[in-house]
Amino acid sequence: MTRRPPGWLLVSGLVVAALAVLPAVYLGVRAAEADADAWALLWRDKTWGLLWRTLGLAVAVTVCAALVALPLAWLTTRTDLPGRRGWTVLLCVPLAVPTFVSGYVLLATFGTGGVLEEPLSRWGLPVPSVYGFPGALLALTVSTYPYLFLALRAGLLSQDPAWLEGARSLGMSPARAFWKVTAPLLRPAFVSGALLVGLYVLSDFGAVALLQYDAFSRAIYVQYEGAYDRTYAALLGLALVVVTAVVLVLEVRLRGRAGYHRSAKGAARVFTPVSLGKWRLPALLLCGAVVAVGVVLPVGVLVYWGVRGLVGESASMMAPALGSVLASVLGAVASVLGALPLAFLAVRYPGRLTLAMERVSYVGYALPPIVLALSLVFLGVRALPFLYGTLVMLVLAYLVRFLPQAVGTVRSALLQLNPHLAEAAASLGQSPATVFRRVTAPLLRPGLLAGAALVFLTAMKELPATLLLAPIGFETLATRVWGATAEGRFAEAALPALVLMAISALGVGLLVSQEGDAPRG
Amino acid sequence: MMRKLLLTLLLSVASTALAAEPLTVYSGRNEKLVGPLLKKFTEKTGIEVKVRYGETPQLAATLLEEGDKTPADVFFAQDAGALGALGNAGRLQALPKATLDKVDARFRSPMGLWVGASGRARVVAYNAKKVKPADLPKSILGFTDAKWKGRLGWAPTNASFQAFVTALRLLKGDEAATAWLKGVQANEPRVYKNNAAVVEALGRGEIDAGFVNHYYLYAAKKSNAELPVANYFVAAGDPGALVNVAGVGILQGSKQVESAQKFAAFLLEAESQTYFSQETYEYPLVKGVKTAEALPTLAKVGSPDLDLSKLDDLRGTVKLLQDTGVL
Amino acid sequence: MSLLTLDALSLRYTPSGAAAVDGLSLSVEPGEVVALLGPSGCGKTTTLRLVAGFERPGAGTLTLDGRVLAGQGAFVPPEQRSVGMVFQDYALFPHLSVLENVTFGLSKLSRREAEDKARAMLTMFGLGEFASRMPHALSGGQQQRVALSRALAPGPRVLLLDEPFSSLDSGLRASTRIEVRRVLKSLGATVVLVTHDQGEAMAFADRLAVMRAGKVEQVGTPESVYSAPRTAFVAYFLGGTNLLPGMGFGGGARTVLGNLPVMGQAKGKVLLSLRPESLRLVPDTDSVAVGGALRAEVLSREFQGPSAEYTVACGGMELVVRGAPESPLRVGDRARLEIVGKAGVLEDSPD
Repeated sequence: MTRRPPGWLLVSGLVVAALAVLPAVYLGVRAAEADADAWALLWRDKTWGLLWRTLGLAVAVTVCAALVALPLAWLTTRTDLPGRRGWTVLLCVPLAVPTFVSGYVLLATFGTGGVLEEPLSRWGLPVPSVYGFPGALLALTVSTYPYLFLALRAGLLSQDPAWLEGARSLGMSPARAFWKVTAPLLRPAFVSGALLVGLYVLSDFGAVALLQYDAFSRAIYVQYEGAYDRTYAALLGLALVVVTAVVLVLEVRLRGRAGYHRSAKGAARVFTPVSLGKWRLPALLLCGAVVAVGVVLPVGVLVYWGVRGLVGESASMMAPALGSVLASVLGAVASVLGALPLAFLAVRYPGRLTLAMERVSYVGYALPPIVLALSLVFLGVRALPFLYGTLVMLVLAYLVRFLPQAVGTVRSALLQLNPHLAEAAASLGQSPATVFRRVTAPLLRPGLLAGAALVFLTAMKELPATLLLAPIGFETLATRVWGATAEGRFAEAALPALVLMAISALGVGLLVSQEGDAPRG
Repeated sequence: MMRKLLLTLLLSVASTALAAEPLTVYSGRNEKLVGPLLKKFTEKTGIEVKVRYGETPQLAATLLEEGDKTPADVFFAQDAGALGALGNAGRLQALPKATLDKVDARFRSPMGLWVGASGRARVVAYNAKKVKPADLPKSILGFTDAKWKGRLGWAPTNASFQAFVTALRLLKGDEAATAWLKGVQANEPRVYKNNAAVVEALGRGEIDAGFVNHYYLYAAKKSNAELPVANYFVAAGDPGALVNVAGVGILQGSKQVESAQKFAAFLLEAESQTYFSQETYEYPLVKGVKTAEALPTLAKVGSPDLDLSKLDDLRGTVKLLQDTGVL
Repeated sequence: MSLLTLDALSLRYTPSGAAAVDGLSLSVEPGEVVALLGPSGCGKTTTLRLVAGFERPGAGTLTLDGRVLAGQGAFVPPEQRSVGMVFQDYALFPHLSVLENVTFGLSKLSRREAEDKARAMLTMFGLGEFASRMPHALSGGQQQRVALSRALAPGPRVLLLDEPFSSLDSGLRASTRIEVRRVLKSLGATVVLVTHDQGEAMAFADRLAVMRAGKVEQVGTPESVYSAPRTAFVAYFLGGTNLLPGMGFGGGARTVLGNLPVMGQAKGKVLLSLRPESLRLVPDTDSVAVGGALRAEVLSREFQGPSAEYTVACGGMELVVRGAPESPLRVGDRARLEIVGKAGVLEDSPD
């Protein structure tokens, strides 16, 4: 028995992993109350239909997101595209747009009487239907492609130019070299980004409900909303956990075994940018189109709502803005701290147990947030009554929900960190704590910050858990927006939604600024 | 502002230690609607109120999960079904008779576990540019006619719709309910997330008629007075004329029973009832309070003779909805 | 008494897998430079990591200056071992300057003392002027000397070097090797070095430990191991050899090349190692056969600068022969083969 992780690391990892599986445990407890009727309901044809529809949507969104993200990632890292930095930031902003905004935007654009109706009817064209599969596909692709975009960018930035040069010297054309060398080497990055996209689709309720696509998460909500049936909802939820588990196992298989370390020592060389030439304009148009749909459209609609509503009362945004920032920052810090032991164990002490611990961190992410919130209610009132109703519960909810985003970034940062550095520090007589403080943490800093920024962004727009677990009277921008849209008062929703997006854009900036500063050793 | 925020946090931590505890309300009704009313309650009684706002069903699920350890004293729900579910789970305690008696027996729990605070009628909302009232059927059952193909909208996940289907089952039997659902389904209705979305779609002209609660129209007209949508009330006594309630119940295990009872009583005072009537266009349930002018009276709507407490047989309804492929 | 003792150390990475280190024993005397030499995968780097404390042995005992570092239920973590290590990739902290790298392990000293000591160390390696540079701004050779300075600065009891010269180009390698050895010797450092380069091992180390499959095959001074390899593996790994089965008769053995003199005694069936330089090729100008002479045909020739290496066919075998670089023999030529040295008797069975 060798390569045993130190006890404290294993214990802290196990605590985080236990928190992460809590929603599944909760579902198990509730599902155990199921009678034959409920089980019979689960095995109906309709459940299988739901399953295929959900998986179909997840796969389609992942494919579309990849089709959008790959060219954008390549354009912003490897070419002489003008304004690469600016495009990168703008292309990440859709992450900051809550689905309850983007869904409405889509309806306001494509719906009957929407923005597109008049111009299209002038040409005698019908407005394309936005309901059902196409709408859900579009909405989810726009809101999730940045996960893949960021992952692929990181992958492209970390590749050693020598690999591509090697391919070119073997007589490959640039295009062939890309598909034979660059693309296969991107596989780990692609798979980790695709996992975030696909599992997000499994959990998403906002878009599928608004656009009337019958998916698993919607069926789960129906049980809570319509029937107050926690048992059957739990059965459906467990089915989703099983699907997630299958996806997670498949991902390990797909991840591949290629090493990540750069082979070169010394100064990292930079790619010579590909000159776009006559392709410059089409490339700019592509970036512009994606930004138009993902950023300009929602901001425009919000501004339009806001201008209409300026006549009405305008409540102060200070309290909900501070609430959002406080909760999201704490959530981001907690997620990164929670991700550290899991990522360390998985990378430095690979084994069945540590791999399983890293994998289970995705469970909470793939479940509809209402299930997650209820599981924390379940834990809170039973085990942590002194924390129930405090901000700590909400931060724990964010931790369980967004952990995989942090685990992913911390994990890839660790993979790029030469393990000899920590060993060298230890052989120089430094304690593990000092080694972490003086060597590992400073070198991981870009990865940790990027993970925190990603969690911050998504926590800013989190709603169901915030409503149920925040201290009573604690307001965030998201709850403000919800309070207004639930009653159809879009004008009042505009200002908090814009403030939310503006603050989130700061997170995007931080995220992008940490890129490419990944440690080399 | 930061100080206020920290204070809120501190309060939430320390609240259990404080002597004069405020009343904790879980409200499935929106802050815009209920906020001013709660303020009045505090002004009047000096009892501080802390509110957790959320969606009624999610709050109900939370209350069921919290069990007797819930910090909530009062549940202010959007519909009777949620209250029924909590009552059935033994989570509600009996209200004082004086409070219950203020409201018609049809609009409260027969076991006295909850009481309606305001009424909401099921209506057919229609696009006034595309449909004339004369074209609309007298009974909700008439919408199975093929001429409505592609013109209808509904929100089958919505609790108030499901309450209506339950009423339909109780009044006409499961077979008739199944036939109706299948008939409407054959007309390929558009499915919306909630009532507000149906009214919004009517305004855009996406559909011609939709099954909703009566007051969404007035809320929508507040932000857009020219919305080309109107309400149509089917004949009195028809299942489609069901009047459901938003109501209130006191949680089992509340340590503020007295304040909670005061709160329930407050909602039924003339002032509050008038507020519902004037601000949210809902039906006041206490005699002597005027209905909003735009609305037909409760008596005229003619809610079918039905015990609302039976509307909590939702499992059967959801099963029916799922068997017919509506859900 | 030995400073560092490895006693029957074993390590398996997976419970069912092969042992990376398999009952390895070795002693290192104070001030001695010992090289662990072997092909890749023989467990030499793992052995180094066991000594450093990055791996925990499954069995056996590791003792440093009488203190048990691992085994007998004890395990001293790396930071408490006073064992310095220089990694193959140097592992310089990329976010710290050269000076900060070297003072890293001097946290017990005051800042001023640490910097003085670090500067002194850097100066000794001729790096005084680079103290404020970042590691990536240094050449490979400079990085390597920074890594040495950093490892030596805290005054470790033992210094471990993992393939320290492998990433230097060949011109730099020899001069660096000499300089580093001089500095280490002047400091009286005890060094364990891992390398797969037999030339480097023989030039740098006081003693060699040739490793194979997790075990030490032979230990001794470079001269003794080279001249008297105990096994075919050691003979092959150290400079290459020709293996011949033979029948021993005391001071010699009967082989297909005739009777060969051997080092020591040979009895019965034995396996002999005949170094390439123990053979000599003479151009066969006069086609007259000299009685009893061995005839060989040149199969290949490899020019190596100071010498040339020939593969020849002789007596139904292929033999490697070291020849003079100026020898006119080319592929296809015929030659006479002369035996000019003694064969070593190996412990391996001749079958």
